[in-house]
Amino acid sequence: MKNSKVVWTILLFACCSAIAMAQEKWLVPEANNDMLSILIFDEDTQLEGKLIYTRSCRSCHGDPTKKDFTIMSPSPGDVASDLYQDQTDGSLFYKIQKGRGPMPSFENAFSEEEIWSLVSYIRSFNPEYQQKLPNLEGIEIPNLTLHISYDENIDKLVVKVTSDSLEVMADASVKAYIQGMFGKYPLGSEMTNELGIAYFHIDSKIPGDTEGYLDILVKTYKDYGTAKYAGKIQAGNPTIRKSAIEGRHLWSAAKKAPIWMIIIFNMMGIGIWGVIIYVIFGLRKFKKLS
Amino acid sequence: METKLTQTSTRRKFLEKIGLAGIGAVSAPLIVSGCNSTDSGESNSVIKVLTPDNKLVEIDTAALKPVLESGDKQHLQKLGREGLKGKKFVMVIDLARCQNERACMKSCQSAHQLKPEQHHINVLEMHDEDSGLTYYMPKTCQHCDNPPCVTVCPVDATFKRQDGIVLIDNERCIGCRFCIAACPYSARTFNWTDPKDAEKYKDVSYNMELNVPQKKGTVTKCAFSADQLREGNLPYCVSACPNGVYYFGDANEDLVTNGTTRETVRLSKLLKENAAYKLMPELGTKPNVFYLPPRQSNS
Repeated sequence: MKNSKVVWTILLFACCSAIAMAQEKWLVPEANNDMLSILIFDEDTQLEGKLIYTRSCRSCHGDPTKKDFTIMSPSPGDVASDLYQDQTDGSLFYKIQKGRGPMPSFENAFSEEEIWSLVSYIRSFNPEYQQKLPNLEGIEIPNLTLHISYDENIDKLVVKVTSDSLEVMADASVKAYIQGMFGKYPLGSEMTNELGIAYFHIDSKIPGDTEGYLDILVKTYKDYGTAKYAGKIQAGNPTIRKSAIEGRHLWSAAKKAPIWMIIIFNMMGIGIWGVIIYVIFGLRKFKKLS
Repeated sequence: METKLTQTSTRRKFLEKIGLAGIGAVSAPLIVSGCNSTDSGESNSVIKVLTPDNKLVEIDTAALKPVLESGDKQHLQKLGREGLKGKKFVMVIDLARCQNERACMKSCQSAHQLKPEQHHINVLEMHDEDSGLTYYMPKTCQHCDNPPCVTVCPVDATFKRQDGIVLIDNERCIGCRFCIAACPYSARTFNWTDPKDAEKYKDVSYNMELNVPQKKGTVTKCAFSADQLREGNLPYCVSACPNGVYYFGDANEDLVTNGTTRETVRLSKLLKENAAYKLMPELGTKPNVFYLPPRQSNS
């Protein structure tokens, strides 16, 4: 009896200390804590962050602002809460990248850019947030220019990144999308080669407009310099967009019924009335004769 | 015939507005708009118009401009009948992801002024007695390319638009319910009683694309949230789903966007890789709603 009490007490202590340890402050090295994003947060980074969040974070952290996170110890918490928003961008980045305990490390799963997009998404729930940008004094931000073309022999979108003075930009990150009605279809994410060129495959079967033009969106960034391109490129399959009600159909209202149906219908009407009228005239003739 | 119809309706509108002006409840631009269309043929002639403070003034018809009210019923009717050019809307429902959250139903019912027992979209429980397995199946109007409901409508109230959406105009609907009988998917519902919040919507102009306000004695159905599509937004149900069940998009672009994750994927690839199927294809109705079979979900 006495022994079991001792065991229980020890167990209780062990549990308490485990919880205390788990909830111990998650210390972030100072250098990481002060780290600033390599991206300038905008709607695009938020959207990308949202995609990653929904796939990889939502199962534990729940929908931001709804506090519907999974109950576990330590609590994952709501990313829109002050617990998260009071931290620096660098701290959030470090914690996502390294992980601790039940929070997995995403170092191998996500690129730095993707983690910053996640931070951008988390910050979108804080109306007071203003992105802290690094001191850019003395650092030359390149003015990037995008040159877009399409090579139909290899079905590839050719993106060349240069500076204003047409100096080739190697190792610039480039992302390309096809703009759909409700969202952006990603063509991929590439780094430019030593000639400043990145290639993106476009399926030649993807339907474009009547002349095969697609709405293309390209973004690039390098050393805080960014450039965007949105325009039409003749890379798709020319498609004539038909109206769903074009032509005559059996299901249509009377005015758009098939011609043969209108003819048969009218012929039947004329035929039946013709017979009736013929009979009536015949009967009148009988009457006259009698 | 058509012009005659317009004339009658505008005359009626004019008289209605003059009456309202009499009790001082209408503003000058409204009356001007009412007068305008009746005299639209003549130029440089002068018409008499009543101002809100009951003064009769003369205005040159050349100076009159139609005022497009945001709730102008005729304008809304025209938009509703026309549809969006060059589009062909499709929906893909991933049954593996549906958790019976019913957020789609709730957002649909609140947008379309529906009572809890009225459904434009309904989540059905599919239970197999033998295996004891259950999955949930959201079911909505299939916006068929060969719609039996349109065939049977005697008054052209339900119709198909150029963007593939099957809509209903409850201003024309006579409540015969032929369409309800003809629909093999039981997608339609009838307003047997006064609709929800009837008082609140009393003065709202009828918007065919939203199908609000609902009217007692008429049929109501899913509109693929045509009012939202016009603004480039996803339908109410699609964006309300927390589980990523719905994909929605334009088949002409071959792209569909998930309402939850906003991930855009190729429609043809999504359908092919997941062995998509349609409901009752043997009937030849050619639905525009695709189902991805219930399976062990990877996400």
